[in-house]
Amino acid sequence: MSLLELRNISMDFGGLRAIDSLSLSIDEGQILGLIGPNGAGKSTAFNCVAGVYRPTSGEIWFDGANITGAKPWDLCRAGLARTFQIVKPFASKTVLYNVMVGAFARTDKTDEAEAIALDILKSLHLDHKKDFKSGALTIADRKRLEIARAMATKPKLLLLDEVMAGLRPTEVDEMIDVFRTVRDSGVTIFVIEHIMRAIMALSDELVVIQFGRKISEGKPEAVAKDENVIKAYLGDEYVAS
Amino acid sequence: MTPQSFKKTGLALLVLTALALPLILRSPTYLHILIMLYLYAYMTTTWNLVGGFAGVLPLGHSVFVGIGAYTSTVLWLQWGISPWIGMLVGGCLAGFVAYLIGKPTLKMRGAYFALATMAFVEGVRVIVENVDQLGPFKLNGPRGLNIPPLPAGEGSLLAFQFATKEPYYYIILFMLMGVVYLTWRLSRSKLGYSLSAGGEEPEAAEALGVNVAKCKVTAMVLSAFLTALAGTFLAQMTLFIYPKSVLTLDLSFELAFIALIGGRGSLAGPIIGALMLRPVTEFSRIYLSATLPGMHLILLGVILIVVMLYQPRGLSEPLTRLFNRLQDRICSTKTGGAK
Amino acid sequence: MDLIFLLQDVINGILMGSIYGLVALGLTLVFGVLKIINFAHGSFLMVGMYVAYWIVAYTGLHPYLALFLVAPIMYFFGYQMQQWLIRPIFVAERDVREPITVIIVTTGVWYVLDNLALLLFGPDYRALSPNPLKGEMIEIGEILISTPKLFGFIITVLTAAGLYWFLLKTRMGRAIRATSLDRDAASLMGISQWKIFNVAFGIGTAIAGIAAVVLVPVYNVYPTVGVPFDVKSFVIVVLGGLGSIPGALLGGVIIGLIESIGPNFMTSTWTEAIVYGLFLLVLFFKPSGLFGQKYDW
Repeated sequence: MSLLELRNISMDFGGLRAIDSLSLSIDEGQILGLIGPNGAGKSTAFNCVAGVYRPTSGEIWFDGANITGAKPWDLCRAGLARTFQIVKPFASKTVLYNVMVGAFARTDKTDEAEAIALDILKSLHLDHKKDFKSGALTIADRKRLEIARAMATKPKLLLLDEVMAGLRPTEVDEMIDVFRTVRDSGVTIFVIEHIMRAIMALSDELVVIQFGRKISEGKPEAVAKDENVIKAYLGDEYVAS
Repeated sequence: MTPQSFKKTGLALLVLTALALPLILRSPTYLHILIMLYLYAYMTTTWNLVGGFAGVLPLGHSVFVGIGAYTSTVLWLQWGISPWIGMLVGGCLAGFVAYLIGKPTLKMRGAYFALATMAFVEGVRVIVENVDQLGPFKLNGPRGLNIPPLPAGEGSLLAFQFATKEPYYYIILFMLMGVVYLTWRLSRSKLGYSLSAGGEEPEAAEALGVNVAKCKVTAMVLSAFLTALAGTFLAQMTLFIYPKSVLTLDLSFELAFIALIGGRGSLAGPIIGALMLRPVTEFSRIYLSATLPGMHLILLGVILIVVMLYQPRGLSEPLTRLFNRLQDRICSTKTGGAK
Repeated sequence: MDLIFLLQDVINGILMGSIYGLVALGLTLVFGVLKIINFAHGSFLMVGMYVAYWIVAYTGLHPYLALFLVAPIMYFFGYQMQQWLIRPIFVAERDVREPITVIIVTTGVWYVLDNLALLLFGPDYRALSPNPLKGEMIEIGEILISTPKLFGFIITVLTAAGLYWFLLKTRMGRAIRATSLDRDAASLMGISQWKIFNVAFGIGTAIAGIAAVVLVPVYNVYPTVGVPFDVKSFVIVVLGGLGSIPGALLGGVIIGLIESIGPNFMTSTWTEAIVYGLFLLVLFFKPSGLFGQKYDW
């Protein structure tokens, strides 16, 4: 059974159609990657799912319920968590405080929230920095904190918006470990990436979009060989004829 | 001595000193200054629930002071209802008004909220100054309301009037301690975490399941309720209220000044701020107002500007550091001695 | 009611309202660029009025000629104010989204300036003398139009047009617009954000200076003269949309009309209440104002 399903969603901004009847579905336990060149509509699609925009037409179903146009906080309580491409830590607060805000989505008690947060921090190897001010963290740690915060809301589905962007190669490898930890804890992942390398290695399933339309989907190996995809990323002349 | 017990001892000493002060300080003038200091610390603490934790700038809290003062006074004058009950009624009314202003405006960015609350006070003041009678309630327009004092030397708990300053001192002290304790509890609760998070990064907080606007409205209603209680206290202290005394922008601004100078969003900030500013205001009003009119407002502005230039997070931050250093020294020497 | 009186009130309302709009113009410009409300704007107007008053009183210059002295002086004043006072606090609060501290500091500036004026000049109301414009009227049929207010209207239109031209056609104007749209992106393009802030603050203050010159012939000068204009300007900019130039002018005219027509139907203090009521209605139902963009703030 699919956990998240986009049914023919379209999104217009004024006269511009950013997404054109896009459909896709993610099965439980899967890692699905959404990729595409700059301006393909990835972030718009993402924001429709995350409740930032309401799609102009089409429906989004999550866990058996229609969530089209639902508010971000309701989505979070329903089990759909997200990260931000430009990380938004509560900069004046400690790492633990940040994660506790997420944990409060599942409990009203402060000590329970603290326990949940400490657990998450431990599993993501951030517990030794729990008392740091989050504004003082490195970019890599901030991204890790972003994921920790989202994980503290105990999601069924985690939406990751370009968490690899701006990381050094060694940090990308560490982030891949984080992904695995998350998946092994039973959370389905929907990830948007601009960089192909990591996503190819990680995803069970890939969807490629360009100009708001889906141009390819399937296993990473298959997608990598798809003519449409190569054209989209590199231009017509690179297609082996 | 552990840091924990050091803090507890410090706090206990502070509370004991506050409780014992009226026994040492017999002068009603000084007691009055202290009462006003606590009152401002109280109002700033309640202001801080919105202005500090929720990260917006309310500039209309005097409207809640006014609602509290007018409600209890009108109920007492016209129907003889005890100001203690009037206090609660005023609080609820203020909470309701706060809901009405907060609901539409707290969705918006700070500048709009600041202006809306400010315009609201001005609007209410203009209306109150222009009506003698609002429905069944006598407001007496710009002349305000006088509470006839009890015969000299008499006091009555029910009437919220006392012959000496001491009862007022203890009432406001307990109110202040209560509201500080409440803030402390709140800052460690789900609502407190949600408010701080929503004040700092609203989108991120919403993605983490926080309904930011709703939390802010909740804080606003709570803050208004508590602020209105101070209004009743003020009315019973002075026995005379008029629009320009309780419904002014100056009062709203002064609360914001105290909070910022002391430390916005911190527990001790409002108290530190009131300790700093109230004496300046009171003494310059007493000694300078004849020769240098408006001097205390200049001082207020200058202190604010200087503090913001050098300690933009307010004075509570360096003072906390100082306190921690003191704590470290004392705690470590004690354990060192035990070895 | 006689129609001619109504017409008279309408004209008066538009003229006075345009002067309110002129005051608000400076405020809206500063908000558009710095995204802060300058609570001291009314005090800047007060400073400008004292400057204009003293210049005319000592030199005997025609009030409108004083403009060429007052505007540069106020520009300099605003520029330095931003450079030495607002900027350091801005820098300290850079990570914070809502510059609350800066807003409150401008309130502190308001307190200091108003009370400093009280200390230095006393609470007296001062009327311009020599005042060649005093009581001057133009008669059109049965309608009387106050000459200084008509000049005020013309100066407002010219100032707004000049500001438009400056923002659209000059290099500095374009840099200001770029910064107001996205200060980070503008910084990346090599525009010095702080320089722009200084200039914008300077221009906003200079506009308050122009308004001061317009007001001096028809208004008394006293230490708290800025306060009613300050509060009115807040109402006007929200009405018109924070950051919008046509919004400020139109908002000013609306307030002016309410104030001039209202007293025919109610006491003038109630018209004041209506202004605030209107303000709250706009905030509740169209918070972006008449001309403001919804996502601009």
